Amino acid sequence: MNEYNFILQYFNQFPLIIKVVWITSVILMTNVFILIIYLRYLRNKLRVKSSLESKCQMYFESSLITYLYSGNEEEDFSIEQKKIIKELKGVTSEAFKRKVLIATLLKLRNEITGEIADSIDKLYIELGLLQYPLSKLRHKKWDVIANAIRELTLFQVKGIQSVVMKNINHPKKEVRKEMQLYLVQLFTFKGLEFLNLLQTPLSEWDQIQLLEILQKSDDQDITDIKPWLKSTNESVVSFALKLARLYNQYEVKDEIIALLNHKNELIRVNAIESLNHLNVLEAKVVLKSNFIETSLDEQIAFVKMLENTYESSDKFFLLDYRNHENQEIKLIIMEIMKNLNFEEYYLYDTELFEDITNKKTTA
Amino acid sequence: MNANTWQIILTIIQYFFLIFSISAITSYILLGIISAIETRSYMKKNSFVNYKEILSSPFSPSISIIAPAYNESLNIVENVRSLLSSHYVNYDVIIVNDGSKDDSLEKLIKAYDLIQIDIPINEQIKTKPLRGGVYKSTNPAFDKLIVVDKENGGKADALNMGLNISKNKYVASIDVDCLLLEDALQKLIKPFLEITDQKVIAAGGVIRIANSCTIKDGKLLEINFPNKWLEQGQILEYLRAFLLGRMAWSRLNGLLVISGAFGLFDKKIAIEVGGYDTNTVGEDMEIIVRMRRHMQEINQKYKVAYIPDPLCWTEAPDNYKTFISQRNRWTRGTIETLKKHKKIGFNKKYFSLGLLSYPYWFIFERMAPIVEVAGLIYFGILIFFDYVRWDYSLSFILLAYSFSVLFSIVAIISEELTYNQYKKKKIGIKLIIISFLEPIVNHPFILYAAIKGNIEYYFYKKIEWGTMTRKGMGNT
Repeated sequence: MNEYNFILQYFNQFPLIIKVVWITSVILMTNVFILIIYLRYLRNKLRVKSSLESKCQMYFESSLITYLYSGNEEEDFSIEQKKIIKELKGVTSEAFKRKVLIATLLKLRNEITGEIADSIDKLYIELGLLQYPLSKLRHKKWDVIANAIRELTLFQVKGIQSVVMKNINHPKKEVRKEMQLYLVQLFTFKGLEFLNLLQTPLSEWDQIQLLEILQKSDDQDITDIKPWLKSTNESVVSFALKLARLYNQYEVKDEIIALLNHKNELIRVNAIESLNHLNVLEAKVVLKSNFIETSLDEQIAFVKMLENTYESSDKFFLLDYRNHENQEIKLIIMEIMKNLNFEEYYLYDTELFEDITNKKTTA
Repeated sequence: MNANTWQIILTIIQYFFLIFSISAITSYILLGIISAIETRSYMKKNSFVNYKEILSSPFSPSISIIAPAYNESLNIVENVRSLLSSHYVNYDVIIVNDGSKDDSLEKLIKAYDLIQIDIPINEQIKTKPLRGGVYKSTNPAFDKLIVVDKENGGKADALNMGLNISKNKYVASIDVDCLLLEDALQKLIKPFLEITDQKVIAAGGVIRIANSCTIKDGKLLEINFPNKWLEQGQILEYLRAFLLGRMAWSRLNGLLVISGAFGLFDKKIAIEVGGYDTNTVGEDMEIIVRMRRHMQEINQKYKVAYIPDPLCWTEAPDNYKTFISQRNRWTRGTIETLKKHKKIGFNKKYFSLGLLSYPYWFIFERMAPIVEVAGLIYFGILIFFDYVRWDYSLSFILLAYSFSVLFSIVAIISEELTYNQYKKKKIGIKLIIISFLEPIVNHPFILYAAIKGNIEYYFYKKIEWGTMTRKGMGNT
């Protein structure tokens, strides 16, 4: 007790700043020890959770495989299947086990196709799991909504598109993206109608995701993309240009040529690339006449187009720009000239020829 | 000078150290809080990301991985194999043999069936000339590989050669000895494709330390924890820097450095600013600062992105000599970059770059070791003249030490809650022990290297990379 009083008295004689420093140090050290205990708890918890998760997953996998192979054609569900459904229903009320069950169902669903995949979708409904994502579609947290839409997408739950579509211009891009994936995954090209109403930008990342889903779909009957090429949403135009390339939409060439005057440079460049891909030779006349007024990226895109579509009539254009200040353009033009008529080109400029060959050991 | 004047001077010095320490601690606390917010947000958003689709799309942007190599004969073949095993679809690998004196090139030629080819080089950045030329493989399996043999010009010059050779939209610079994870490219390209309201000019991710890990055929099989305190201390340091520091700066859009070990750049911007600076040993930081400065000057909205995912594993120094040499180089790089771009500092024209990032780096990265050493000298003088109040001094020492340990523990918890890479039993306790030891076993050497870097910068202005004796990560 005396020692305690002595320390207290000794402490009290310090100036305020030193008292604050001592107290802060003690608080920090206490925090260190509390966090160490928490860290130990956390590591144990994560280890236990991981072990429990793999045990549950193994159990569910085994039950689900039995379920999938114990069906028969006479009845909706065989006795064995009914037994498994009853067992699994028992665990759906526990959030953790439900999460693992859904993950296991999804894992299996991604590994199989056809009737067995449909059987998993049917089981998902039968287990009453659908009520959970449906109840979350109007949740105030964005990540809950996005998760719910994703679950509906993965289990191919149709019939709720009007509810899902309400998130078309949701402030969080993750929710918008899930909504778009839902529509395109389930309704392919018809699902793309959301583009007519989209006010927010569709990122390049999202565009790639959507295009890949479309490409993997059985339905390859592309809808009319002309309205999207005229959209006021520039990202929609960019997406439509990609569709035009991917699905060789030669019939929209006039709309694409019109985009050469678009106010956004990137769209103009994309339009040239699409015209190149579609081999629209008539665009070359327009592009040649405007060449000097266009940006460097447009010029590069155009000479790349010429690389694929060159004709002898392009020779004078090529000669005009063979000394272009941009090295990349110059190199492409020389390559084209070489391909057109190498000997004649060689006479024009022997010095430039050295530029396209390797500059070896010229120290 | 009378006693009163001395007293005033001493008081001013003491208050300077006090204010500096409080500012440093406050900045770390703020960065920790911002980082926690950003990490939570990232993890939540990232749970919705599907990286598979980007792998097969014809619209996936093209990337060139540029790996400069100098006398890397020991592991070059395995390292290149690791770079070629990325899951990304649209990329090539440009190995720039920067005038190696060993048999690196011969080994590559033999292992990958290389033949010399003639290709046009768009020399947009001046570099040292080619030596052996450009090589490509006759084996279609190695179609993505380009090997360039040039005269020695240093790492920055080799990277510039890579920029000239690359025909792709994006370039990833990587240390050839780094183990690149198979999904690293699709993760790092995402910010470039996802952000629509700003132009992403560069992106970086987390670099992890591979010492003691099990690696076979260019693949990371098992994550282990090294036994040496020096290596353990560096693991902790990397966790703090990448999970707490850079994550926070990413949220503030104030990152001044993307690790030279692995980073992705918009090639057009990198060339516009003139490529890597060959006159600095901190070319990785310098190019980012220059690109940022350029974007500010042309008044275009931009972002230097950062993702907390571990993308690349590298070998860290396992002895103090190499460790000091590496940190010495980092210090010189920082000094050179900040000096070269001093116009930015405290300049409101550069907004957060000039008023936040630059001042922070100048005060807490550039000046911190000098202030710390000055403090130690001052403390030594006080001891010599018997002016030390030990009860006061101990309180400050304990405060600094407790804060350092606390910050490390927070970094470990952050790692557990996010990527949880050190799962093995006993690693947890080792991480805690090193949190207590690191301020003693690593920090004095970091301080020494920083001071050495300052002295060498001001008195021996020779550009030198220093050597890193590698044990190699192939089949560790």
